This record gives sequence, C-alpha cells and structure tokens, in this order.
Amino acid sequence: MNPILTFIIILIGFYGLATSKNIIKSVFCVTIMETGIILLFLNLGNLEGGMIPILDRLGIAIVDPIPQALMITTIVIGSTITSLALMLCIKIFHHFGSIEWKVVLKREDKS
Amino acid sequence: MVIPLIKRLVLLIMLGGLLYGFILAMNDLELVYNDFGKEYFLLNGLRETGSLNLVTGIYLDYRLFDSLFEAGILLIAVSGVMWISQHKIQEKNASFMLDKQKTPELFIIFSRLLYPIMLVFGFYVIINGHLSPGGGFQGGAIVATAILILYYIDITKTIDVKLILTIEKILFMALVLIGALSFVTTGHPFTNFIRQPEYQAIYLMTLNVLIGVKVALGLTAIFTAFLKEGR
Repeated sequence: MNPILTFIIILIGFYGLATSKNIIKSVFCVTIMETGIILLFLNLGNLEGGMIPILDRLGIAIVDPIPQALMITTIVIGSTITSLALMLCIKIFHHFGSIEWKVVLKREDKS
Repeated sequence: MVIPLIKRLVLLIMLGGLLYGFILAMNDLELVYNDFGKEYFLLNGLRETGSLNLVTGIYLDYRLFDSLFEAGILLIAVSGVMWISQHKIQEKNASFMLDKQKTPELFIIFSRLLYPIMLVFGFYVIINGHLSPGGGFQGGAIVATAILILYYIDITKTIDVKLILTIEKILFMALVLIGALSFVTTGHPFTNFIRQPEYQAIYLMTLNVLIGVKVALGLTAIFTAFLKEGR
C-alpha cells in the first residue's frame, strides 16, 4: 500500500471530526485517524519480501523494528483514550439527556 | 442552506492542501525516513539486549523510559474511568446486562471449554515475548479477554475494583524500581541491569510478566466500570 493512501484515511477521519453532529461519531473519527497513523508508520518501515524482526535464522532481510515498537505504544494509548471518551459520553447522556452536539451546547448555555 | 455548503467546501480545500503538502514531502523520502537504525539493531541488537525479538529488545531496553510512561498513562486512564463512573447510589450487581435466559446454553458450554486454553495461551505469549512474536502488552490483552469470558460462565461473580487499582499502583512502582536498578550496576538508568549475556533473558521475562499482569488488570477494570454503567 502507498503512504499517500494511508494519509487519505487520516484526512477522512479529520473531515468526519469537523462535520459530525453526534458525539459517538466524533469518537469513531478519532479512532479512524489513529488507524491511519498506525498504517502510515508501518508502511514507512516496510520492505518487500522482508521477514518479521526476529533473529532466529541467519541471513534474512527483516522489516524495520522501530516503527513496530512505537506503534505498540500507540495501540495501547488509543484504546485507553477511546474508553475514557466513551465513559464521558455516557456521563453527558445522563446529565443532558442527549448526545447531539447542538442540543448539548444549547442546554449547557441555559443552565 | 448555503452557508454550511460553503463551510464544507472550504474544509475540503484545506484538506486538499494538506494532502498536497504530504505528497510533496513523500517525493524526497530519504529526508523523512532512512534505515540506519535497522542496520544498527540487526548488527548489535542481540548482543546488547539478549533478546531474539528485536521489538521486545527496543521497548524493554533502548526505549524503556518510553514504556514506563506508557504504563503510567494506562494507570491514569484506569483511575480516570473509575473516577468518572462512580455512583451515588450503591449498585448491587451487574447481572442486568448478561441475562442468563437470553444467553444460549451452547455459548456458555463452549466458554467453559475455551476459558483455560485462552488463559494458558496468554501466559505463553507473555513469557515467550523475547523469543517469539508477542510480549507483555499483547499477552495481557489475551489474558484480559479470558477473564472477561468468566462473566458468561458465572454471573454472580464480583470483582473488587479498588483492590485491582491498588495492585496496579504496586506493579507500576515495581516497574520503575526494576528499571532504575541498572543505575547501581551499570551506571546508566533505565537499561538492562544484568551484565552477563546468558542471564539477560531473566530481566526481559520479569518486565514482560509485570507489564502483562498490569495490562490485563487494567482492561478488566475498564470493562467492569462499563458494565456497572449500563442500566
């Protein structure tokens, strides 16, 4: 896959974040952007026909291990960010009675 | 009617500008990315870290400071979810979400068969993290999935969330202490504290087990908080 295609995935997430009317959909768009970033980093370290970076056989071509070690961090932190955002969504629904951005902002101004 | 259309058009033009800049940056890829690091790890990685799996060698030895803060972020997120989801009214049990009448009997029986196999596979992935694909983070997620299947088998089981949070704090302190132990033996903080190449795997296995248990407990605590929230 091309790095430009993965950047288009990040842009799709950005567009959804700017135009979505529902809070849950905004959380999904953050997840889409994160997936695009993971694919972009793994693409940069890719090598055609390369093996996984484990040195149990001699004389093999391996892919770059540095982006993979960085992306483990991204995956774990992304899951925690998603769980925190969803918990905040539940609390917003219990307090305001809706998860539409416009309704929540209007009711917040009134109170 | 017209103004939102103009807003979207402006947004699309700005995103197109971002894409154009990215394509320009990708034209000279040598400025963005090179594989000097890969050559260095291929030559010296096994000798300096004692780990066949280079990814484990990087995140437990060269970049251990980074991994410590990642474990800290997991701890902070778990305490944040706990704090946001606390209730004024005392909940009695989480049995309203998984109804015994609605869950098929076949599913429960197969969960009983699958649960020990998943637990053993998770611990295998954790302990063999320096030899084969895997490690603390991935194996911890598998162990957490095995613990969550327990909810299907026996609904009356309860988990003490406060105890889980205390255990996680103690594990994080142990991680920082083991990482800082190398300042005494080698003079550099946050690397491997064992000098002999034959015994370096002990350090990697210890840190992998600590991180694996920490990730499994954290994901279980987050799941329990969400289960209590539904009504």
